Amino acid sequence: MPTSDPVSDAEEVEELPPDRLRSLYREVSKIPPVYDRLILMVIDGLPAEFVLGRGNKPPTKNMMEAMPYTHSLLSSGKAAAYHAKAAPPTVTMPRLKAMVSGAIGGFLDVAFNFNTQAMLEDNLLEQFYRIGWKLVIHGDETWIKLFPRLFHRQDGVSSFYVKDTVEVDFNVSRHLEAEFASTDWNFLILHYLGLDHVGHIGGRQSILMAPKLKEMDDVIKRIHMNSILDQENSDSHTLLVVVSDHGMTDGGNHGGSSYEETDSLALFIGHGVEESNYSPYDHNEAFQVDIAPTLALLFGVPIPKNNIGVLLTKLFDSLTDDQRLRSLELNSWQLLRLLKAHLPGLHCGESSCYSCEKGLETNVPTSEAKQRLCYLFSKAISAHNSWQFRQHSDFISADINYFQVAAESYNDFLRNASEWLSHRATDKPVNVLMSAIIMMLVSSVLLMGIVFCLFRRVHFAQVGCCSQLEDPYKILHLDEVFVFIVIFLHVLSLGASSLVEEEQYTWHFLTSTLYLIFLSRTIESLLKRPNSVTLQNKDDKTVLPHSSPTDARNNSGHKFTKFRPSKINNHGTCRLFSVVVVLICGRLLRGWHQGGVNWIYLPDISKLLVHAGTSTIKVCQILSLFAIIILGSHAIFKLKSTTNFVYGVWSSLLLSAFLVMLHTMENHIYDLEPMNLSTTSIAQVFYVVASTSAVLTFLASPWIFPVYSMEKQMVYQVRSNSCSTKQRDSFLLSIRETTYLIGTTYTAFWCLLQLLIQQPINAIPILLIYLQILFSIIYFSADRSFHRQWVEVAAIYFLGLAGHFGLGNTNSLATIDVAGAFIGISSHSAVLSGILMFVITYASPSLSYLSMVMYIDMKDITFISSTHEYEWSIFLEKMIALPCLLPLLFNSLVLTSFTIILLLMRNHLFVWSVFSPKYLYVCAATVCVYIGVFIVAATGLYTYSVFCFRTRNPQEKCPQVLRDNVISHSQTNVISQ
Amino acid sequence: MGTARIGAAAASTLHSLCALGVAAAYFLAQRVCVLDLVAHPAQTLRLLLVIEAPITIGVYSWLRRDTHGCSVWKAIGRGLLALPVGAAINAFGAIVLGAPVGIKYWTVTAYWSLLMSLFTFVPAACAFGPSRMDWQRILSFSKLLDAVDYMISVPAYGAIIGAWIGAWPMPLDWERPWQEWPICVTYGAIAGYLTGMVASVVFIVALHRKVHAKGE
Repeated sequence: MPTSDPVSDAEEVEELPPDRLRSLYREVSKIPPVYDRLILMVIDGLPAEFVLGRGNKPPTKNMMEAMPYTHSLLSSGKAAAYHAKAAPPTVTMPRLKAMVSGAIGGFLDVAFNFNTQAMLEDNLLEQFYRIGWKLVIHGDETWIKLFPRLFHRQDGVSSFYVKDTVEVDFNVSRHLEAEFASTDWNFLILHYLGLDHVGHIGGRQSILMAPKLKEMDDVIKRIHMNSILDQENSDSHTLLVVVSDHGMTDGGNHGGSSYEETDSLALFIGHGVEESNYSPYDHNEAFQVDIAPTLALLFGVPIPKNNIGVLLTKLFDSLTDDQRLRSLELNSWQLLRLLKAHLPGLHCGESSCYSCEKGLETNVPTSEAKQRLCYLFSKAISAHNSWQFRQHSDFISADINYFQVAAESYNDFLRNASEWLSHRATDKPVNVLMSAIIMMLVSSVLLMGIVFCLFRRVHFAQVGCCSQLEDPYKILHLDEVFVFIVIFLHVLSLGASSLVEEEQYTWHFLTSTLYLIFLSRTIESLLKRPNSVTLQNKDDKTVLPHSSPTDARNNSGHKFTKFRPSKINNHGTCRLFSVVVVLICGRLLRGWHQGGVNWIYLPDISKLLVHAGTSTIKVCQILSLFAIIILGSHAIFKLKSTTNFVYGVWSSLLLSAFLVMLHTMENHIYDLEPMNLSTTSIAQVFYVVASTSAVLTFLASPWIFPVYSMEKQMVYQVRSNSCSTKQRDSFLLSIRETTYLIGTTYTAFWCLLQLLIQQPINAIPILLIYLQILFSIIYFSADRSFHRQWVEVAAIYFLGLAGHFGLGNTNSLATIDVAGAFIGISSHSAVLSGILMFVITYASPSLSYLSMVMYIDMKDITFISSTHEYEWSIFLEKMIALPCLLPLLFNSLVLTSFTIILLLMRNHLFVWSVFSPKYLYVCAATVCVYIGVFIVAATGLYTYSVFCFRTRNPQEKCPQVLRDNVISHSQTNVISQ
Repeated sequence: MGTARIGAAAASTLHSLCALGVAAAYFLAQRVCVLDLVAHPAQTLRLLLVIEAPITIGVYSWLRRDTHGCSVWKAIGRGLLALPVGAAINAFGAIVLGAPVGIKYWTVTAYWSLLMSLFTFVPAACAFGPSRMDWQRILSFSKLLDAVDYMISVPAYGAIIGAWIGAWPMPLDWERPWQEWPICVTYGAIAGYLTGMVASVVFIVALHRKVHAKGE
C-alpha cells in the first residue's frame, strides 16, 4: 500500500506567545494578512457541477433556481469560484485532511474514514490555533476527532446515519444567529452533511436535492448579509470559503476517481474578491490541495509543511505586486523544501545568480525530473530578482512585463513541482516489504504444496475405488487445464489498469468459458453413452440408461433426480439443462449492471428497470422472493426423511420470507420521511429470526437427525456379510443429509438477508446467483466423478466471484452501498453498519462459500466404503479439506501476486485511482474467504464429531481416528494461515 | 476419393483452397467493393460468407466419410442444413460469453455466427452426417483416426480458440474502432482458422509417419 509519508524532520517552532508569533510571521513573510476572520463552510458531497456547470456551460436551470443568491454573487463578480479537483479516495476524512494540510494522504485513510484518529501532521488549524485564534466548529464530528483539543466551541453531528437529511443540517444552522452575534471567534467551520445524505439515498436526481441546495443557498445568504456586507468599511474583514469535500456519482455514491466524484467546489466570497472580467461559469480548474496554501498566505500563517498545493493567484489581486511575488516565492520555497525531502540530492535553491542566468539561457529542460524542477526554480528566482532589480533602479517602463515573467515562471515551477509531488509515493523501507512479500510467497507455495499432496491422496483413493473416471491416467482434462488458465489470466489481468477497472468482464468471460467447456463435455458424453447400447440409435429417450452398480448406489443419496419429470435416469440431459441454465443466468447477470469505468453509460437492465419505475422494481423483488422461497423449500424437501425438525426449519424460513416481504412493501426509499420505524423493527425481527434459525439448525440438526437405518443394518447384515461397510455407508448417509440440510438453510437465509439489505434493483441478480449455484450443484451431483472435485470447487468459487461483479460491484470504492448498511439499525453504530456493508458487498462470494456446505454432501463418497485403513482421514480430507483449502489457495495466490504488482506499479499514474482501491478489495476478499472457509470447516467438523459421538457405541474406534484427523486438519489450517 | 486415404499433400491442397477462399473474399472486399471489416462489418462478413460457403461445403462434401451410402448432393444438403444450426450454436456461445444483444448488433452477430459455423460445424456435418461416433471423437479431441478427422477438427478448434483470444482486447480502453464486437473476434477466428489449417497438415504428416513406422 503506497502512502505519502509526512515530512516531519523540520525544526520545531519554539513556543512563543501567540501575539509575538503572529507579528513574527508578519515580519518574516512581509505580507500583511488580507482578512482576519474566516468562515469555512463545507457542503459535504456537493459537485461543483451543481453550482458552476460543466465545461464552460452554466448549470442546469433548476440548479440555478435552487441557488439564486450564490448565482447573483457569482454573476456580479463578488465571488471567485473554482472546480477544485479532489484526489481519490473521495471520502470525507482524507479530503478534509487534504484541505487543511495541502497534502495527499495515504490511501488507507479510507478504512479510517468512519473511525477517525487525531491528525498529527502540520495543518492550518494548528497554525491558526498557535497564533491565538479562537476556532469554532458546527457540523460533522470528523473535525472534532481530527482536532480534538483545538476548538473553542463545538457541536458535532454524526456523519454516519445517512438516512437523516434534515436534522443534521438543522443542528448546524441553529447556531448561526448566536455566532453572528458573538465576536469571540476568528475561524468558524460549518460542515453540512445533508446534501451527501440526500445523494446516498436518492442520487443526483433526488427530489430532495433542489430543496437542499436552496437551504445551503440560504445559509450562504445569511452569512454574506451578516458577516461580510456589514464590514464594508470597517478594518476587519471576513472571508467566506464555501467548499465541498468531494462530488458524487449519478447514483449518489462517492469514493472513486471519476470526474463526477472528484469535481468539488471551492468558492471564495469576501471583501477583496472582485471578479469583473470573466464569466462566472468559465471552467476554472484548481486542486483541492490549493486551498491550504491560499488560506495560509491570506491569513499570514506559514504554509503547512507537507502542502503540495499552489496558491490561487486570483485571490491575491488586491495586494501589491511585490507582495504577490513574495507570496509566490514563499509557496515555492515551501514546495522546494518538500522536494528536497523527497530528492535528497537537490541543491539548486542556493545556486548563485550566475548559474540562474545560465539556466535562463539554456532553454531546453532536461527530461530528468530533478533537473527540470531545479531549472524551473532557478528561472523563477532569477526572474523575481531581475524584477526587483528593475524596481529598485526605477526603470519603470518594462515593469509589468517583468512582473508577468516572474509570476509566470513561479507558477510554472509551482505547477510542475505540485504535479510531480502528487504522483509521488514515498518508498517504504524496502527490506521490510521484501521480507513481507517473501513470507507471503512462501506461505502460498506451502499452501499449494499441501493442496497438491491432498489432491493426490484423494485422487488416488478415487481412482483406486472408482472406475468411472474414464481416463484415470490421463493427467489433465481440458477443464482442469482451463482452471489453471483462469488463475493465470486473472493474475495477469491484474497488471493492466483497464482490465482491473473492467474486471467484471474478465470474470464473466472466464467463468462462462469454463461452463461452456462443461457443456461440451456433457454433449460429448451424451453422444457417447447410447453407443454402448446401440450404435445407430438416434433417439436418446428410448435408450435405457447405462447403469452400473455404482450408479445404483449413488442414487440412494441422490436428491436431485426428482428435478426432472422422467424417472428414467438420463443424467446427461439433466446435466445439459443445468449447465445451460447456469450459462443463461450468467449472461443475464452480466447484462444487469454495466459496471466498470469506461462503459458505464451504456444501457443495461438495471437502468431500464429504474426507468420503468419503483413499482416494477417492487414486483421484481416480490417475484424473486417467491422464487427463492420455492427453490429453498424444494431443496429442503428433497431430504429423504422429513421430520418435524425439518418442518420447523421450513416454517422459520417462511416466517423470514414473510418479514422480508413486509419490509419490501413498507419500504419507500424515496419517501420524504427520513426514517421509518416500522421497517426498522421489521428488519430487526428478521435479523433475530434468521440468525437464530441458522444457528439452531447448525447446532441441533446433527443431534436430531436420525442415525440412518440402524434397523436396516440387520437386513444388510443378512444380505451381505460386510456389516461394517454398510454401517459406515448409512453413517455417511446421515452425515450427508445433515450437512445438506445445514447448507440449504445457510444459503436460503443468506439469500433472504440479501433481499432485505441489497438495493431493490439487485433482487433478481440475487435470485440468479442462487439459481446458478443450485444448478451447478445439481450438475455436479448428477454424475459424480465426471469432473475432478477440485474443478467443481473452483467452478463454484468462480461463480461467486463473477456474481460479485454481477451485483454491480466494481473495483472502485464508489459502488459500495452505504445506504443499505443502515437497514434495521435504529441507533448509530459503526461496527454494525460496517458488518452490514461488508455483507452487502461480499454477498455473492459468501453465498458461494456457504453453498460449499451444501456441495459437500453431493460428492462421490462411495469409494470410501471400500475397506481402507485410513478411510476416515480420507473422508475428512475429501469432505472438508479441499473445498476449504482451494479458495484459500486461490485467494492467497491473488493476494500475493497483487501485492507484488502494486509494489511494481507504485509510481504508476493510476496507483491511487485503480490499484489502491483494488488492493483494499483484495484484502477484504481475503477476510471474506477466511470467514467462509471457517464456516464450512466448522460445520463439517461439528457434524462429523457429533455423529461420531452418537455412533460411539457401535463403533469404538471411530472417535480415536477422528481426533487424529481433527488434529491433523487443524494443523493444516494453521500452516495455511 | 472420399474416405480413401488423404495424404498430406492433398490435405494441404484442400486447405489452401479454403484459405484462398478467405483471402479472395478479403481481397474482393478491400479492393473491389471497398469494404472494410472495421467500417462495414456486416457487409464484409456477408461477402466472406458468400464466397467461403460454397468452397467449404464442396470440399468437405467431397471428403464425406460414407461414400457409398451417401451421394455428394446429399452431403451438400447436409452442409446447407448444418449452416444455420451451427450458427445458432455459435451465436449461443458468443452471447453467453458476453456478445452484445440488441437490434443494432443483430445482423453482425448473425453473419459472424454463420461464418463461425462454416469454420466449425459445417465441415463436420458434411463429412460425418449423423454418425454419433465421429462427432464424439471430434468433440473429445482424442483418438482421432485419420487425416479427415484432423482436417476438420484442428482448424475448427483453431477458429474457436482464436475467436476466444480475439475477444480479450474488447474491454480495454484503447478506444480503437476495431475493438467493437465482432471485429477483433473475427480477426482472431480467421487467424486461428488459418493457423489450425497449418497445424492440421503437420499433424497429418506426423500421423502418416507413425502409421508407416507401424507398418514397417
